[in-house]
Amino acid sequence: MPIVQFAPFSSLIQPSFWHELTNLKIDVLRLSDEALPISGSYSTGKSVKDRETGQEIALGCNLSIGSESFDKGFKPSQGSIAVLGTLKNYNTIDEFKAADKTVLFNREAERIWEHTLKTRDTSLLTQFLLITFADLKKYKYYYWFAFPAFVSKPAWEIAEDGWKDASSEFSSDALISIHSHLRAHPAPLPFFLVRSDATGTTISPVEAYSTFFETTPSSSQTIAFVDPSANPANPGWPLRNLLAYLRVLYPNSTSSVRVLCWRDTDIQTTWKSRFGVVEISAAASETSSRPAAVGWEKNPQGKLGPRVADLAPMMDPERLANQAV
Amino acid sequence: MQAIQSQFWNIREYLSPVLKESKFKEHGRITPEEFVAAGDFLAYKFPVWTWEKGDTSKARDYLPADKQYLLTRGVPCLRRATSLAYTDADEDAERMVSFGDSSISGGEVDEWVETHAGRKATVDSAANPGTIDDIPDLDGPQDDDNIASGIGSLSLGSGSGGGTAETPDLDDIPDMEEDDLEEGDEATAATTKPSAAVIDAGDIEVAKGNLLQVRTYDVMITYDKYYQTPRVWLIGYDENRTPLTPPQIFQDISADHAHKTVTIEQFPHSASLQAASVHPCKHASVMKKVIERMNNSVVEEQLSRRKSGGSAAAANTKEAKKKWPFTRKASGPVTDKLQNEEEEVEGMRVDFYLVVFLKFIASIVPTIEVDSTTSF
Repeated sequence: MPIVQFAPFSSLIQPSFWHELTNLKIDVLRLSDEALPISGSYSTGKSVKDRETGQEIALGCNLSIGSESFDKGFKPSQGSIAVLGTLKNYNTIDEFKAADKTVLFNREAERIWEHTLKTRDTSLLTQFLLITFADLKKYKYYYWFAFPAFVSKPAWEIAEDGWKDASSEFSSDALISIHSHLRAHPAPLPFFLVRSDATGTTISPVEAYSTFFETTPSSSQTIAFVDPSANPANPGWPLRNLLAYLRVLYPNSTSSVRVLCWRDTDIQTTWKSRFGVVEISAAASETSSRPAAVGWEKNPQGKLGPRVADLAPMMDPERLANQAV
Repeated sequence: MQAIQSQFWNIREYLSPVLKESKFKEHGRITPEEFVAAGDFLAYKFPVWTWEKGDTSKARDYLPADKQYLLTRGVPCLRRATSLAYTDADEDAERMVSFGDSSISGGEVDEWVETHAGRKATVDSAANPGTIDDIPDLDGPQDDDNIASGIGSLSLGSGSGGGTAETPDLDDIPDMEEDDLEEGDEATAATTKPSAAVIDAGDIEVAKGNLLQVRTYDVMITYDKYYQTPRVWLIGYDENRTPLTPPQIFQDISADHAHKTVTIEQFPHSASLQAASVHPCKHASVMKKVIERMNNSVVEEQLSRRKSGGSAAAANTKEAKKKWPFTRKASGPVTDKLQNEEEEVEGMRVDFYLVVFLKFIASIVPTIEVDSTTSF
């Protein structure tokens, strides 16, 4: 059976984030390079139909941050999921280069793991790390994202059927009911459980796993997550940590998991959500020691390396003046 | 120069009175209240659009504090507008697209010409990025660009490529361990195909010329008090989610408008953000024409329905629902169902203004899919 491949997050930094960081750096942070809490958000994966070729083109699996990411009471826009992150801004390019990325990364991964084991809370599962260096004179911003994800050994595999349309597994009524439950939930749910029985289809936060599924046969238990990926064959990155979470907390019932990748924001004629059954060989160890984690973002060349945002054309007053003539 | 000009525009906008009475059918202009109503309608019907507060110190007091401007993020843009250059041969490809409800029997439905229907992109966007000149770099020595390309083409594992002493070169980030980890991770879906050789940052676009480059745009609609029309702002990202430079943005604007009506300006609801904007000086007259045409057909149709008898009133509301664009009966600040039925023929509602406006903007930025309303 093929291994489940997850579509990694792609960072999207709105220019307003750099403007805000610049102000913060000059007025508040000054020379401090303490780690700052920030927030980002992602939403269901988008795809666009090419009007000329008729192909469906999946857009990136974006996690975006903007000026509001520094706000304490960050509220994502409707339909988006908020994620917490850590920002570490260095004062010089040399410090940025010399920073021990392995230590930083492991510290984040450790935090996610311990929090998960201790509290059974899923809110940190999508925690990210961002390191930056802002060259304020040249309006150049160097940055590198990491989205820690725990590596499962052996890897998760997808059952023979592969990933298929959710509508082939769930009735339209069931999907509509999931949609309205999701809408009605006070806080947006990044991960949720779906139970179908005689009374209909209901959902619940993942934290209630043991009680919610108590009387449900495993064939109608489904775990679901808001999927930032629009790629038909690849579920998004958040599923990775969700599976790791289920595996460590409920090892007995999770060697085969029915997964619903939720990709519908509106009720339309066709459902975009995907469904698949993922399995892991029972030999998997049941220790609760932290598995290895991966997740540094690759740069445009496909290599592990930092990215640079050159905002001089949009920020440098001299160049803007030139543009305006 | 630009600073003075912007300053002038700011003052002019500050001094111009807030438009009070509805003028949208006469002039194509709308009042702030109508902007809010039309925006509410747009955001209600197409949830990709949301109201934003913006920078509170820049808030306009004639608009509600939490409804300063409309925003939609991540609007895809598959091709460069330069690849849509229009030739005689393309005329054959024109086709009429009916607008609004095609089930109307009268045949007097408004039609729009859709050009380039079914056309293959002959001019490849990346290989032929247009003739817009890059802005000359004022920084003199090009060392900072070297940094950019240096960091762009850097790879962690390779210890090659030493920059000059004053060029901060990130080649030597000691990250071998992560490199190993990720290389061995079979459960990560490949997003971009890593190129075999390290390419210079400048060559990337050409190297991937035959692939679609999906750019995305954040699109904002503000209310321009001086011109009394909505105004569109664009912030773009390339396929690697790097912000686009002005010359790159101009590639996505039809040649008739790039550099003439589209300029890079200070975004009014932020202290420092710059964005590309379609200058609104002609918006009102264009909107007037479009609205006039649409209004005529709507009025005609309402009249004909009126003639068919008062008993149809009940059916009327049912109809109205089906044909929401022109006679919406749902709630809304300016909508009143009762009044709707009492009134004589009222024609197109102002709520629909922004939907029409987006269709007009779509002609200026043909490849940016701002007009999500076509699905209806």
